This record gives sequence, C-alpha cells and structure tokens, in this order.
Amino acid sequence: MTLTKTLAAVLPTPGRLGYRFNLAGRTGLCVIAFWALIAVFGPLMSPYAPGEIVDWDYFSPMSGQFWLGTDYLGRDMLSRILMGARYTVGISLAAVAITVTAGVLLGMTAAVIGGWFDMVLSRLLDALNGIPSLLFGLVVVAAVGSSIPVLVLTLAAIYIPGAYRYARALAVNINTMDYVTVARARGETTFYLATREIFPNILGPVLADLGVRFIFIVLVLSGLSFLGLGVQPPNADWGGLVRENLEGMSLGAPAVIFPSVAIATLTISVNMFIDNLPVKIRDRSE
Amino acid sequence: MTDRLPTNWTSRDDAMVESAIRRGATRRDLLRMLMASGVGLAAGGTLLGSASRAVAATPVAGGSIRAAGWSASTADTLDPAKASLSTDYARICAFYNRLTFLAEGGALQMELAEEIATVDAKTWSIKLKSGVQFHDGKTLSADDVVYSLSRHLDEATGSKVHSIAAQMTEIAKVDELTLRIVLAEANADLPTILALHHFMIIADGTTDFSTANGTGPFICEAFEPGVKSVGVKNPNYFKPEGPYLDSFEFIAIADNTARLNALMSGDIQLAGAISPRALRMMEGQDAVWASTTTVGNYTDLNIRLDMEPGSKAEFIEGMKSLIDRELIRKSVLRGLGDIGNDQPVSPASRYYNPDLKPRAFDPEKAKHHFEKAGVLGAEIPMVASDAAASSVDMATVVQQAGAQIGMKLKVDRVPSDGYWSNYWLKAPIHFGHINPRPTPDILFSLLYASDAPWNESHWKSEKFDGMLREARGMLDEEKRTAIYHEMQAMVSDGAGTVIPAFMANVDGVSSNLGGLKPNPLGGLMGFAFAEYVWLKD
Amino acid sequence: MSPSLLPWYYVGQRFAIALLTLLIISFTVFFATQLLPGDVAEILLGQAATPEAVAGLREAMGLNAPALSQYAGWLAGLAHGDLGTSYANRMEVSELISGRLANSLRLAGVTTLISVPFALALGILAAMYRGSALDRAISICTISVISVPEFMLATLAVLVFAVWLGWLPALSIGGNADTLGGLLKTYAMPVISLAIGVSAQMVRMTRAAVIETIQTPYVEMALLKGASRWRMVIGHALPNAIGPIANAIALSLSYLVGGVIIVETVFNYPGVAKLMVDAVATRDLPLIQSCAMIFCVSYLSLITLADIVAILSNPRLRR
Repeated sequence: MTLTKTLAAVLPTPGRLGYRFNLAGRTGLCVIAFWALIAVFGPLMSPYAPGEIVDWDYFSPMSGQFWLGTDYLGRDMLSRILMGARYTVGISLAAVAITVTAGVLLGMTAAVIGGWFDMVLSRLLDALNGIPSLLFGLVVVAAVGSSIPVLVLTLAAIYIPGAYRYARALAVNINTMDYVTVARARGETTFYLATREIFPNILGPVLADLGVRFIFIVLVLSGLSFLGLGVQPPNADWGGLVRENLEGMSLGAPAVIFPSVAIATLTISVNMFIDNLPVKIRDRSE
Repeated sequence: MTDRLPTNWTSRDDAMVESAIRRGATRRDLLRMLMASGVGLAAGGTLLGSASRAVAATPVAGGSIRAAGWSASTADTLDPAKASLSTDYARICAFYNRLTFLAEGGALQMELAEEIATVDAKTWSIKLKSGVQFHDGKTLSADDVVYSLSRHLDEATGSKVHSIAAQMTEIAKVDELTLRIVLAEANADLPTILALHHFMIIADGTTDFSTANGTGPFICEAFEPGVKSVGVKNPNYFKPEGPYLDSFEFIAIADNTARLNALMSGDIQLAGAISPRALRMMEGQDAVWASTTTVGNYTDLNIRLDMEPGSKAEFIEGMKSLIDRELIRKSVLRGLGDIGNDQPVSPASRYYNPDLKPRAFDPEKAKHHFEKAGVLGAEIPMVASDAAASSVDMATVVQQAGAQIGMKLKVDRVPSDGYWSNYWLKAPIHFGHINPRPTPDILFSLLYASDAPWNESHWKSEKFDGMLREARGMLDEEKRTAIYHEMQAMVSDGAGTVIPAFMANVDGVSSNLGGLKPNPLGGLMGFAFAEYVWLKD
Repeated sequence: MSPSLLPWYYVGQRFAIALLTLLIISFTVFFATQLLPGDVAEILLGQAATPEAVAGLREAMGLNAPALSQYAGWLAGLAHGDLGTSYANRMEVSELISGRLANSLRLAGVTTLISVPFALALGILAAMYRGSALDRAISICTISVISVPEFMLATLAVLVFAVWLGWLPALSIGGNADTLGGLLKTYAMPVISLAIGVSAQMVRMTRAAVIETIQTPYVEMALLKGASRWRMVIGHALPNAIGPIANAIALSLSYLVGGVIIVETVFNYPGVAKLMVDAVATRDLPLIQSCAMIFCVSYLSLITLADIVAILSNPRLRR
C-alpha cells in the first residue's frame, strides 16, 4: 500500500514540478514569516503612534513623510498597518487553529462512532450554525463583554460547524473504506481509527479547508470589531482599516489599497504554503 | 479635479459663497470676499456663476425624482407620533401638514393654522385655514387637530414627543375651525413646538397607518417599510404654488459610500447625510453639488457628575481643557461644523450667546487639573459607539491628547445596537448625540433641567430651573434672550457635557434639482424637500 | 424492510431529524434574543424612552406577558402556518417577509445557476491537471478573489460600472426590470459580486475532494490499467467525491439566502438578510424568529439534500 500511495502522490506531480512546488511553498512560508515578524516587532518600528492625527489633510498620497499615505482622519497608514498586523495575524491564526482542530476532531469522532452520537452532535452544531452571526456576536458582547480571547473564541464558534461538517463528510467516506473495516475488525480503538486510518487520508482536503477558512476569519474579524467585539480603537485589524477608509477608494487613496494588499499577501501566502505542503506531510505520516 | 477651480477651493467655500448670496450680498461684495481669500478674479467669476445657479431660478412644474436618506428599517412608520428616522420624517412631511412650519433662518410660517393668538402664553387660540381637504376628500376641521394633538398624551401611542406634549393640559374644539390649547405653564414657544414633525395633523379617528390620509402635497401611493415610499402630486393641495414635482420616491441607502455613488451615477437626485470626506470626490463635478447647513446637532462627551470620576470637579475641568476642539472640527468633521462651547444652543439659533468663548485646548492645564483630582495615570474608559455619529473618532482624539500628558483614557467601542438604552445616560463617561431642536427651551428642558429626562451628566441647578420657567412664559424677546445667554454660560461652566462642535449637515444634490434651501429642522430642508424642490429642464 | 427501500428509510429519517433541529434552533434563537439587552418598546422609543413612556408602550403592545409565553404563542401560531405580527410596525410578518424572500431567493437562484456549474468545472479541471500551470492559475485566482473583502469588491464594482462607466445602475431597487436588458442590468452587479465569492470557495473544495479520491487505491488501479484521465475522474473519482463536494456546495449556497447582508446593503437590494438585521435591531421577536426559521430551513434543506446525495452516491453508506 505504501508503494502505491507514494506512486499516487508522485504521479500527478512530476519531479520537475516538485522543485517549483517547494519554491512556491517556501515563498508562502517567507511571507508568513515576514508578517509574523512584523506582528511581533512592527509596533517598535512604527514612525508615529497609530492613533495620532499627524496630518491636517486626509487620504493623502504616499510621501517621504508618510510612506503609505494617511487615513481618513490624517493618521499615518504605515504605523496603522504595522500595528494591525499584530491583530490580524495573531487573532486569525489562533482562531483558525482552534476552529480546524475542534472541527476535525469532532468530525472524525462522529464519523467513526456514528449512530446516535453522530446525530446528536451534528444537530447541536447545526443549531449553533442556525443562529445568525450578527445575533451571535451581539449576544456574546452582551453576555461576556469584549476582549481579544472572547473574540478568538467567537470566531471559532462561528466557523466550527462548517469545519465539522466538511471534516465529517470526508471522514464518513473514508470510514467505509476496506482498510478501515479491516482495522475495525482487528479491534482497534476509536482513537486509533481516527488518528491512524482516517486522519492521514483526509488531511489534504482539511488543510485546503483550513486555508479558505483562514481567509474568512481574517475578513469577518473586522465585522465583529465593528459590533464592538474585540479590537478597540485607535487600533484596528487590517479588514477594519479597509472598512474605515472605504470612502477613499474613489480617490485611489493608499489608505484603502495597502491594507487590502496586506490582507491579500497574507491570505494568499498561507494558502500557497498549504497547497504545497500535503505531499511532504502525507509522506511523513506513513 | 478640473482646472475650473483653484486647488485650495472646496465645496465648503462654495457653500459659503452661496450663503452670502442668500443673505443678499452683491456681486462686488462677493468678489471682494474671494479676493481676500486669495482666489483670482477669473476663477472667482466662475465660482459665482455656479453658486448663483443654485439659488436664483424660476421653479418649473413636472417630473419626478428619487431621493435617499440614510436610515430605514422595518420600524418605518406613517404614524407621525412614532416617526423617528430620516425616512419617516421625509415621508410624513410629504403626506401630512403641520399647523406651523419653520422656514429658513428659523422664521415661523403658518401652515394649516391661519392664526395663532395668545395674551398670556398660557391659553392659546388656534384658527385653522378653511377649505383644506384630506386626501380622502374629507375637509379639515378642529376635530382632526384635537385628535392629532391629544394622541401624544396617551402613552399607548408610543409618541416620541409625549413629554413635550404633556404640557398641553387642555386641547378643546371651540368651533369648526377654531381650537383652544391651555398649557400647564406659560410657554411662548408653542407655535414653534407645533412645527415639530411629530405634530403633523391626521384625520380624526385614524388608527390604521398602513397608508397615509393627510392634507399634504403628495398622496401616498406605495409604502414598504424598510424599502421605499412613493408619493404622487396632490391635485387638491391647499397651497397654490406647490408642489412642483409630479411624484417622488424616497428610499434609504444606509451605506455612506453607496449613497454617494448612487448620486454620482444619477440613480438618485438627492442624497442626505453625505460624509464630509466625500466632498473631495464631488468637487469638480458638474452634475452634483453639496448643500451644507449647520442646524445644531452635536455629539457630546458626557461625564456623569454623580459617579466617579466625574464627581470630582477638577476632573471635569481637566476634560474640558483636554478636548482639542479645533482638531475635532478640522480632522473629524473635515471643517464642516462650528466649534462648540459646551452648551447646546448653536450659532444658528437667534438666542446663541456669542460672548461665550470655547475653552482653549491646554494639555498642561488639563494635567494640572487631573493631578489635583488625583486621577492622573489611572485607566479611565470612555464609551463610544457608531450610534453616536463620529464619537469613536472624537474619542481617539481625546485619547491621544490624554496619552501625551500621561492620562490613560481607554476607548470602549460598543455596538450601535441598543446603545441608547444600554449605555447612553448610564455609563460614567460616554458619548451622546443630540438632534437639533428649534428652541432653547426644548433643549434645556430635555437635557439640562434638574428633572430633564435626558440629563446627560446628571447636572442639577435650582437657579437654572427657575430661569428656565421664567424665560418660557416670557413674551418679551429681549429679556428672554438675556436669560438664555446666562443659562448657556451656566451650562457651559457647570454641566459635565463637553460639546466640542456643532456638526454641519451635507446633502448631495444633483445640479438639475432646484429649490433646496437650508432649514433649522435638519438636512434635506428639514426633510420637507419634496414639496419645495423642482426639476430643471 | 426490503433492501431497496432502505435508502428511503434513511431519507425519511433525515427529514424527521431536520424538523427536530428546526425546533432546537428556534428555541436557541429565542433564548439568544432574550439575552440581548433592551426590548422593542425601548428601542422603538429610542432616545425618547422615558421609563413611563416605555412602560406605557410595553403595556399597549402586550409585552408584559412572560417571554416564554410569547415564544409559545409564536410557536403555536407557526404550527398553523401563522408567522405572527411584527412588534415594530404591526404588520403581518408573512406580508413583510414574502416580497423580500422572493427577492432573496431570486438572487440566490440566479447566483447558484451561474456559480455551481462554473465552480464544479473549474474544480474538476484543476484536480485533473493537478500541479499544472492551469491548476496553479485557478488556485491563485480563487484565493485572490476570496481574499478581497466583499464590501470592497462590491463598492469597487459600483464605482467602475455605475459611476465611471455608467453602464449599470448603482442600485438594484426600482431599476427597470420590465425588459430582459433591464433585468440583466439590475441583477448583473449583485449576482457577479456574489457568484465570484461563492464559486471561489466551491472550486477549492471540489478540487481538494477530487484529488483525495484520485489517490484512493481503486482509482489508482484504474489508472494503472490504462484508463484515460477523463474516464478516471468522471467515472471513478467523481462519484466518490460527491459527498464532500455536495456538502461544500450546500454550505456555500446556504450563505446566499441569509448571509448576503453586504451585497444587500451596497446595492440597496431589499432581501431577507437586511430584514433580519432590522428585526434584531428592534428586538422584534416574531420577525427575528421567522427570519431565523427561513435561514434554517434553507440551510437544513441544503445540507439534508447534500447528505442524501452523499448517501445515494456512496453504495457503502447505504448499507
């Protein structure tokens, strides 16, 4: 089986491409590392305080004084983007990690155990998904107040049902495979079935799902901040920066372009990295 | 940006020139004014052209327009008593009439009333115009007015002006076209109060508000809450000159950018509440212009005097010195506003006290006060929300100023949802937003009297209450003004409400729309635009 | 029970479960609404809410009954097909919803018709030619498209096509939808904005699911036996990938009914998402409940459909 698996992994991706794959993956990793460093050290490098109004003009263009222009109040965009990295990168990574871990664990467990456990868990998560996220966000603010951990958990709660549903669908399919049936007949535990037989086989799609879910979280973050949940002014995450400067779009203001570019580079590189990861990971898991 | 305009010229200046023309300035005066502001003669000439175009022209009848406000929801209503949002006001102004109308500059005009008379400001006699018809053909009589006004006294109506209406202790029919109103206490402002949107006159016995039966210039053709309202011209309207339009549609576009885009693309001809920052986009466009009016709405920082840390007088003093009013006006409001001096009567009011100077921005002085209050270095939260316009931005301005003197002010942005019932008036330090009111009496009674329902800083002064009552019943304008001047100084000094600036209302107007004038009740001509605007050929 | 009826037994069971879920959700939503501060009387009076005025209005609106009995009343009405009366404006909820629901469904329908075939085709293509330039181009495009905030994409579309070029109306409401051309113009921008977002996600999920099945032993066997790539994917990989794909599509589409608040706002399109936001803002319990039910019904029917498709497409699951 190991042989055919390796064959299959190699077959659609000729070795010639394999090198470029790694290059793309490495590029992705470099960009992620870059933003991670900015998230840690960015605030030390910022030329101005992110909340300080330093320019009488607004939506001003790039200049020697303000490298990335100024925002709708005349605040320095470079400083604001450096500061926003901390929120966007940190919160999104934490939230997506929780979401996918919880979703996959629950999904696999439900698929392997099946029966009533599966049904009850699925219905409960459907019910969670049934609460409109606006209502959910407002309830969270009203009930437990607003802080960064609450924001991370809220994001995770919003996306877990989706991650669960997708992981479960994948796992249910694998669960019917002969080798799983054989393993079950051998008397293997649920834990073994889930981690050794199912997990390696659903990892590819799960990671693809993680990449997309990461993007959603990055974007939804700003919406929740506007509900008053999480990042508080004068700080803002990148999505929030785009949102608050949207009026500058018709003027082509850098204040709306650069945060969007920052979001795009981060999300694209995360996905580029993930897309080029599975071959290696799968090799290791066997 | 076209070469037609000098580069430092903005729509704001356009608005200034326009208002000068309205005040009757001659071309020579204006050119002198422009020269003084550094605008070349040739450019000045073109500017005058475009500004006078907006003012002087003869109305033309016919056509239809679509206009957009900024708020609509399923709570939209045709019931004047419950009206609360721009969309409601625009709609009821088109379908109903009031007894009186507040026109440009606060001038009071009679609308359904023929004459309002009193000798003691306590007992009022109102005579109605004769021959006014409701849309269903019924003729207006005193019964309709008595019914319309009395409704506000019943709590079950859910009237927004219940507390103002409560002073009318007797509303009685005298004959078919005359009624008598007796007030609990003398109030010289009654004719102005009756010009509020909520006091629109509906037919006697109306309980169903799925459509509107009023006397207004337009007949309600369609009303979908949260979506749109359509009105068609009332052929039997009692005013001979209007309305000019055959029909109008009013919608709401909540998103600022979307509203502006709809105006620029020509999908709508009139847009309310344009963001000051959008003016740059409208500059140099021939198809649209911005109409700016300051009517007295403001966002204020409220520090409750009955709670920590506002109970320390030094803290209040410190905060008042820590507000950089000029920065707020220039950066947050983009210059579209007047600097405020911590009292609610705006420069647009004839009772405004011009001698009362706004407190200077002085961080060192503020620091001194905070030290004395013993709060320097403590973390103090300020509750702000998008529900109170620009409050989040104002809060960051104050926060930054505080950071420079070692004062840790924290901005707590909370949801717009439920802001007015959960945080406003409740949090120790929070922002409020007050809509314009036509008289100082209403402002003070609502906001600063000891028993005021919205006493934002919980400020109490018996002397102030006494002066408020005294001025209310006074028919002598000069004495009344003097009292109001003093009261403004008392509020500015004593209350915990910091009012940094009065905000201007900006309406985006298509250049083929004529007849729009500023109005003291708000933008879009106090929402009564439909009756007065007309389409150019 | 005869074996041929077994799949239908599962299907029937699914429907029963869906109904039960609906009940759970309605209670969850009710409970969540109760947690929110403020009630409809306070919100309607807004800044004018003095304690006496609120008490008076509450009494007049019949809000003094315990919340649970209000919920029970609504539920009992629902059993008879009556959605109740809106607290905020005293109109029938069914009347408020019907027109807007039709709008939302129309928008969702048109978007689905365009995006699903498009996304499936792209996803399968990308999976078949995995690692090729085409695959990577599709991958980068989809990721870039999802990475742009939706409100920015929609606003940019309005700016370009309505304001600068003047080809399309900036608003979807009141456009001239009588002629085919007018209809196309009115729907073009909202549909494209939505289709781009949902397809991108479906493309990625489809690609991942198909690739996963390509790597299973029996497809590898087929491939080693010399089956063509097309036959391999269409004949062997795709049927096995249908379960996860159907789930991914269902999740994406369920978003089209209730989650399109940004598109509804930017294009001023009167749909149910905005209605729900309004209802929450005014604490209009019957309207919140009814909207939430609509979203849930659409979500549940989609995922139930996806589950059924998954069961029917995988012979092993039927056993």
